Amino acid sequence: MVDVSGRSSVIISVFSTTPGIGKTVVAINLAAGLAHEGYSVCLVDLDLQFGDVLNYLQLVSPQTIAGAQRAMLNDPENFHVRNFLIDYGHQGLHFSIMPAPVYVFDAYQMDVQAVEKMISQLNYFEFVILDLNSMFSALNLAMMDMSTVVNYLGVIDFLPALKNFKIGYDTLLRFEYEESKIRIVENRADSQKLIDGRDVERLLGEKFYHRLPNDFKSVRNSINKGQPLMFAAPESKLTRSFEELVAKYTNKNISPIQTETSGGFFDRLRRWTSNLFGK
Amino acid sequence: MAYQVILIESNTEVLNEILTPLKRSPDFTVAATYTSAHSAIGQAGMFQPNLFFMDVEDDEELDLLPAFADIFPGAYILGMMSVWDANRAYRSLRGGATGCILKPFTAQDVLKSLQLFTARGAHRAGRIVSFFSAKGRAGRTTLAAILALLIAKKTGEKVALVDADLQFGDLPIFFDATPKRSIIDASQDIKLLTPLTFEPYFYPITSQVSLLSSPDKPEYAELVTPSSLVDVVRMTENLFRFVLVDLPAGFNPLAINICRLSNLVYVTTMINTGFEVRHVKKVMEMFASQATPEREIRTVFTRVNPFTEEERHKIELELGYPVDDMIPNEYKMISIANSGRLSHGLPEDTLLMRSISKMADHIIAGGK
Repeated sequence: MVDVSGRSSVIISVFSTTPGIGKTVVAINLAAGLAHEGYSVCLVDLDLQFGDVLNYLQLVSPQTIAGAQRAMLNDPENFHVRNFLIDYGHQGLHFSIMPAPVYVFDAYQMDVQAVEKMISQLNYFEFVILDLNSMFSALNLAMMDMSTVVNYLGVIDFLPALKNFKIGYDTLLRFEYEESKIRIVENRADSQKLIDGRDVERLLGEKFYHRLPNDFKSVRNSINKGQPLMFAAPESKLTRSFEELVAKYTNKNISPIQTETSGGFFDRLRRWTSNLFGK
Repeated sequence: MAYQVILIESNTEVLNEILTPLKRSPDFTVAATYTSAHSAIGQAGMFQPNLFFMDVEDDEELDLLPAFADIFPGAYILGMMSVWDANRAYRSLRGGATGCILKPFTAQDVLKSLQLFTARGAHRAGRIVSFFSAKGRAGRTTLAAILALLIAKKTGEKVALVDADLQFGDLPIFFDATPKRSIIDASQDIKLLTPLTFEPYFYPITSQVSLLSSPDKPEYAELVTPSSLVDVVRMTENLFRFVLVDLPAGFNPLAINICRLSNLVYVTTMINTGFEVRHVKKVMEMFASQATPEREIRTVFTRVNPFTEEERHKIELELGYPVDDMIPNEYKMISIANSGRLSHGLPEDTLLMRSISKMADHIIAGGK
């Protein structure tokens, strides 16, 4: 176990149980938003095999987390994680990035304890954002253990996705993460009307911490330009929604989160899902 | 009509033990017994046998099995083993055996095995096809599900869908299925199973397509070792002519192991931001670096839009590998998966279905 008692940074991991639903976009825009508020931020791409942070920001880097691990294991005395970060900068805004490995083979060599050690060395940042992948892997669980909050992202446009969102949430709770640590965030919240967000909240027994609206065009624009939404689509409702999310994470806009008590309706829903998904 | 049985077993004690239940059963007439395959092959023709029992733990018998299959094309050949050996079972199937059975057995076991193995399809090795994707949400599960139904329809043979996406497998939802047993149970029990006892682990979707389901809790994935899953897939091949495996995303020991024993791997990708092509390139390089000459790796891109040859060339140019299959976008697919309607059969004839049908033909052709 890595000693994290001395750390001062807030660690936010961005996790989901369905791949390809916007974790990296959320992680980048959280990092950018927090940096815009004046915080020092490091974004760590922990989708080790197929990370997209550099792709979405149109950066290339000789430094990767794989190189950092090699250096740390070779020469622990002289190792400092800061030498393996790269900088994203645009119009006076800056944040640091720890890129994912370039090669799948390198990704395969990554060691959970080594990553823990490197992440805890990032404690000189005020915020550390971890972009995870969509699995309950040893690495992801270790990262969520270290995290201050888990930004648990879901897109509810598809029944399998809803099933995985629910199963993932229940699993996180079974792993004894406190409910307050897990912030459920709906992405593309208004993209379809097949499954109602309120039904999802009843199903999870927890209110959404935040709901990000759908703005496919702005996201595509942002990725094409290699810039966070605040630059690529400053007027977008999604950009504003990210500002609100950042405000919540910086306690600038504290609204108490109420957990709906699970009454008879929730029990019925539970029965419904167990019929639907099997026990 | 009783089966005309030829029994080949070098150990006379074992031979007698096997004979007893067969002789007692009205379903079998033991025409002749041999202690060596060489003597059997010349003489057996005199008895017009239609069922052979061969000891495939004996190398000579295993080597001669294909010759028996050639000379007696209408006969069933059951390989006998005292402990299940996946390699020998595979070699038997490849040599033309109907299937393998564990010694000792009852007449009932034989009848049930014959029933399962003949329903399986042609007496050939199975065809293991796995669906890999770098990052998921690639259309993997949809493709596997539709292909299973199509292959069954086209061949009349049995098809297994194995949901090896242990944490977040979606196949049960696609078919509105509520299986009682999962791949976790199967992989924990596999050392003790034979095809006969393994069969109930499958959830029948149609008379020809069955599902080995993923578990309902992601942490159960921990209970599975990659090697036990390999055993599960290899055992599946004894019951199903086609085995379609839906893998978890990315490279992990499980996916690598299953890909290693697959005849065909579909690297499945949905173009979304465009960066997916870079990821596929990495995937293809990984597969190229593993020397498994008999395995075929194919790329398939789903939701290709525009669905044109220019688009194919564009992707190929960046990818550096051929785009083997392209599937057009079809919004209806989401509602099909949502409703579990695949359990009621395939969607109507559309461009999407025709594209997937072409893939089915390729899988089937390779299996001959």
